[in-house]
Amino acid sequence: MLRALTLAALAVPLLLEAQAAPTTTPSRIARIVITPVQKVVTAGDTLRLKAEARDADDRVIPGVQFRWTQTGARFEGSVSQDGLVTSGSTGTLPAAVVAILPNEPPTIERFEVRMVPGPAARIAILPAVQRLVPGQRIRLSAEVRSAIGDIRDDRVVWSSSNTRVASVNEVGMVTAVGAGRATLTARVGTVLQALEVQVLNAALESFAVEPGVTDARTGDVIRFKAVAKDAAGRDIAGLTPVWSISPGQGMIDADGAFVGYDAGTYTVTASLGNRTAESVVTLAPRDVRRPLSVVGRLPRTRFNTEEVWLHPNGEVAYLGSGGGGDVLYTIDISNPAAPFVTDSIIANTRRVNDVMTTPDGKYLVFTREGAADRRNGVVFASLEDPRHPKVISEFTEGVSAGVHSTFIYKDPRYGQHVFLTNDGTGALHVLNIDDPAKPREVAQWKTENRPDAGRTLHDIDVQDGLLYGSWWNDGLVILDVGNGIKGGTPSRPVMVSQYKYDLNALYRDVAASGGEGFIRGTHTAWRHRNYVFIADEVFPASGVRGAKDAAAGRAYGRLQVIDVSDIERPRSVAYYEPEFGGVHNVWVAGDSLYMGAYNAGFRVFEVSGELRGDLRAQGREIGHLNTADMDGRASNTAMTWGVVVRDGLAYVNDMNNGLWIVRIEPKAGVVP
Amino acid sequence: MTRRRGGGLAAAFAALVLVGGCRASAGDADALAPDPPSAPPRSYAAIVVSESVDEIARIVFDSAGARVVKVAPVGMSLIDPDGPHGVALSPDGQHYFVSTAHGLPGGSLWKFRSADDVPVGRATLGQFPATVQVSPDGYFAWVVNFNLHGEMETSSVSVVETSAMLEVARIPTCTMPHGSRLNATGTRHYSACMMDEMLVEIDTRGFSVARHLFLTQGKERGMAGAPPRRVASGADHGGHDMGGHGMEPPAPGDVSCSPTWAQPSPDGAKVWIACNKSSELVEVDVAEWRVTRRIPAGNGIYNLAVTSDGRLLVATNKRDQSVSVWDAATGREMARIRTSRRVVHGVAITADDRYAFVSNEGVGSEKATVDIIDLEALRVVATVEVGQQAGGIEVQK
Repeated sequence: MLRALTLAALAVPLLLEAQAAPTTTPSRIARIVITPVQKVVTAGDTLRLKAEARDADDRVIPGVQFRWTQTGARFEGSVSQDGLVTSGSTGTLPAAVVAILPNEPPTIERFEVRMVPGPAARIAILPAVQRLVPGQRIRLSAEVRSAIGDIRDDRVVWSSSNTRVASVNEVGMVTAVGAGRATLTARVGTVLQALEVQVLNAALESFAVEPGVTDARTGDVIRFKAVAKDAAGRDIAGLTPVWSISPGQGMIDADGAFVGYDAGTYTVTASLGNRTAESVVTLAPRDVRRPLSVVGRLPRTRFNTEEVWLHPNGEVAYLGSGGGGDVLYTIDISNPAAPFVTDSIIANTRRVNDVMTTPDGKYLVFTREGAADRRNGVVFASLEDPRHPKVISEFTEGVSAGVHSTFIYKDPRYGQHVFLTNDGTGALHVLNIDDPAKPREVAQWKTENRPDAGRTLHDIDVQDGLLYGSWWNDGLVILDVGNGIKGGTPSRPVMVSQYKYDLNALYRDVAASGGEGFIRGTHTAWRHRNYVFIADEVFPASGVRGAKDAAAGRAYGRLQVIDVSDIERPRSVAYYEPEFGGVHNVWVAGDSLYMGAYNAGFRVFEVSGELRGDLRAQGREIGHLNTADMDGRASNTAMTWGVVVRDGLAYVNDMNNGLWIVRIEPKAGVVP
Repeated sequence: MTRRRGGGLAAAFAALVLVGGCRASAGDADALAPDPPSAPPRSYAAIVVSESVDEIARIVFDSAGARVVKVAPVGMSLIDPDGPHGVALSPDGQHYFVSTAHGLPGGSLWKFRSADDVPVGRATLGQFPATVQVSPDGYFAWVVNFNLHGEMETSSVSVVETSAMLEVARIPTCTMPHGSRLNATGTRHYSACMMDEMLVEIDTRGFSVARHLFLTQGKERGMAGAPPRRVASGADHGGHDMGGHGMEPPAPGDVSCSPTWAQPSPDGAKVWIACNKSSELVEVDVAEWRVTRRIPAGNGIYNLAVTSDGRLLVATNKRDQSVSVWDAATGREMARIRTSRRVVHGVAITADDRYAFVSNEGVGSEKATVDIIDLEALRVVATVEVGQQAGGIEVQK
C-alpha cells in the first residue's frame, strides 16, 4: 500500500542579494504614490488600488504602465494585474506595483494590504454554564466571529440582568450570588449573546470527585466526575465545576478527562463555589521501553530507497527506488538475517514510490513518476512466482502526470479496486482490477470549492469501505467508498467528513526559522480502532543559511490522533512531535504504532487504550533506532521512510541506505 | 538530500568526456562514423538542467575537451523532484534563471548568481513553467506555463521582473503554451500552443496577445487578438493526458501539428515552428502573418535554435534520436546527426555560431547527455554525461 513518500525539504539556501537590473537609461520615476494610503480590506471584499508615478520634482509622469502583483498569501487573497485586491480571508497580503516606462528600468514599490474580519456577527459563550451554586465563580469566555466565521478580537462588554443572582465583571468572571435566574449577556456593538443561568438555592450537602484514589500509569486517560448532592442525598445535575491538577505535568479537559505525563502523585481538584473536592491519582511510569535489535540488512545506495511492501506469504519483500531509480527490487526474506535480491523489474520511470500486493498475493501494483515519455501511471505485475513478478499491464490514461500512492481494497460486493493519487490534479482515481490485466477506471473524485492549485492528494488508506485521504492543504478527507454510511461505492465515492486544521499556525516556528512558503501538509493517514492517525510532512522553505550542504537541513512534523468515534465529526485528541526530525509513514498493529520519522529515525509507540495529549511526554515510546549508515548515499544520516510489520519483525526502509529488518525485543530481565 | 550532494568537482569530473562522435547526412541517420576529436578554437561554456534529479550542470568545452565542471542543486524539496525544465542567462551574464515545473501551489522561476550558482531569488508562477528567456534589456524573464497535467484549459505566459523577481503579468494565451522565444529586439514574444495548434504573438510592451495563427495543415489562418478562452469541461476527466509529450507519433490520417517550439529569425521577419506531431518545420511570415512554407522534418521535431546570422536552423528530433541542421534560406536539410542518447530535447548555439549544444534526456535510469555539434563539420565532436532527463540548455555568450 502506499505509505507514500513525499515532499521534503528545502535544500537550497536562498540568499538575498542587493542588486540592480542592467540599466540603459536611468528611470525618471522618483517615487510611486499608491491610493488609498490605508490599504485595509474586509475579508471577502475587494479593494481597488491606483498608482501614479512622480518624478524628482514631484510631477506626475504620463504614460507609465503599472503592473500589480502579490508576493505572498496566495491562498488567502489575490491581486489582479490591474490592481484589484480580493480578500479571501483575514491576514496580511504582501504585494508590489511595478511601474514600467519603455527603455527604462522598472520601478518597484512594495506594500502590504491588511485583510481584516468583517463586522461582528455572532458571539459564542463558553463554557455553556447552566446551573451554579451560591458562591461559585467561573470565568466565561466569548468568541466573536464575523458573518463568514472569522475570529475577531473585540473587547466584549459583559452584563447581568440580575446582579443579586449572578454578577459578571469586565473579563467575564461570574459570581453566583443568590438563588434565582439571571441572564448574562456578552455584547459587541449591537451584537448580543445571552446565557441563561440558574443559581440554585439548595446548599451542597456533599461534593466529591470520583474516582477517589486511583493508581494508573502515565498516559492512561482517567475520567473524573464531580458529584454534588443536596441534603436529601439527591444528585444535583447540570453543574459545571472548574478542574485543575497539581503538579501540572499533564492535562485535564473541561469534561474531567485527565492524563498525566510524569510518574508521581497528582491532586485533581474540582471546585464549585466555596466547595472543593479532590482526588488523588498516583501514576507509575508507563514503562514500555524495550530494546531494538537489527536482525538483517540489505543496503541499497544506487538510488534512493522508496516504499517497502511484503507479500502475504511473508517470505518476499518488494522495495522501490527513487531519485532517478527505475527499479522495483524483489527480495527473499525467508531468512530475515540474510535478505537477498531475487529479481527486479526495470520500468519506464525515475521513481517507484509505492507498491502494494492484492490481499490474495496474486498481483502487485507499483507507481511510476518521471517516465522518459512523461507517460506515468501504475504498473500491474503477476505474482504467480512471488520471487519473480511479471508485468502484465499498466494504466496511464488521465494519470500521466504521475501516481504517488495507491491502495488496493477488495469488497465482496463491489470487487477489487485500486485507489490512486493523481500528481497532476490532486484527484483520486479508482480503477477496477477484477482483471488486473485489464484495469479500468470507474471513478474520480477531488476536493471541491477550491482552485486546482494547491490541491494535492498524497496518501490513501481504505478500511471497512471508508477511504481516508491525506489531502495536504485540505487535511484529512473521509469518503464512503462502499461502507454505506453515505451510500458510496468505489465507482461513486461520497464525502463523509473532513478534518482540516491550520497548518500555518501549527508550524509557525518553521516559517520563523526558514521563511514563508514552507512545505507542509497532511501526508498520511491510518485508521485503527476509533482513531485515525494522521501525519504531516513539513520542511522549511530554505536550507540552513551558511551551511555547507543540505545535510544540515531537517524535517518537522506532527502526528495527530483523530477521534472518529463520531465519523462525521472527527476531532483531534492527541499528538506526537519529535524533538528533531519529522513524522512520515506509520503502521499500526495491535497496541503499537510504528513510524518512519525521517531524520528522527525509526520509532515505535504504545497506543493502547484511550489516547489524549502529548504521547511523547507521557512515555509511550517503546523504542528508537537511528537508521544511519556511514556508507549510505548520505553518510551517517537517517532518512527513515516507513515500515511494514510482520511476524514480530519491522521491515524499515531508509531513503539513504536501504532496508533494515528490526526486532522489538522483550523487556530486559532483571539480573540478580 | 543525496541527490543534491552533487555540486562538487568529484561528480563533475566523473562525467564522461567523450570526443569523437557521429556524423550523418540528411536522411541517413544510421550512418555513423566516428571522427577524430577536433579542438575548438576557444573555450565555450553551457548550462543544462536535469529535470529528474534537480541538477544544474555547468559544461566547459575547450582544447582539453568537454567536461562537466560543476553540478549545483535547484529546487525546494529534498525528496520529490522540483523538475527544472528551462534555463536562460541574463544578457549581462551575471545571472541565470531556471524554471522548475513542480511545486505548491505552482512552479517557480529561480534566479541564480552566475559567479557561484547560488540562488538569489524566486518567483512562484503557474502550473509547470517551462521555456524561459530574458528580454534583451534584461528587465523581464518570459516563461510559458505549460500546465502539462492540469485541466484542459487556457494557460498563460508569465512575465517576471528580474531584479526583484516579481511576476508582473500572467498573460492568458492558449492550452499548453510550449517552446517560446522573443524576437531580437524584444518587442514580440512567440509561443507554440501544443494542444491548440496555434502560434501566439505577444506585444511585449502592452503585455497582451497581439495575434494568433492556426497551424494545422489545410486550416492555416491568422487572426488578430487573443484566441478564445478555453475552459475545462465538466465532462472532462480530472486532467487531460498529455502522456507522450512529443514522443508519440500521429495516428494514421492525423495531420495535426502539435507545435512545440516557436523560433523567430534574427531579423524578426519569420518565425519557424516545430510541428512535433506531423514532423514538419513550418515557416511563418511575420508581416503577412501567414504560413509560407511547410518542410518535412525529422521524426518528432521538438526544439529549435538559429544561428545569429540566420543562416542555419538547428532542430532536435525527439522521436528520432537525431538533430537536423537546415539551411534556413532554402529549407534544405543539410545534415541529420545521430545523438548519443534517446529523447532529444534542447538546443543552444554558441555566439560565434560554431557549435550547437544539444541535450538528450535519456530513458529511465540512464544518464542524460549533452552532445556538442560542430556546425561547420556537421558532426558530434564531444559528449558529456549529465543528470537524468536533461532538458533546458543555454550557452554562455
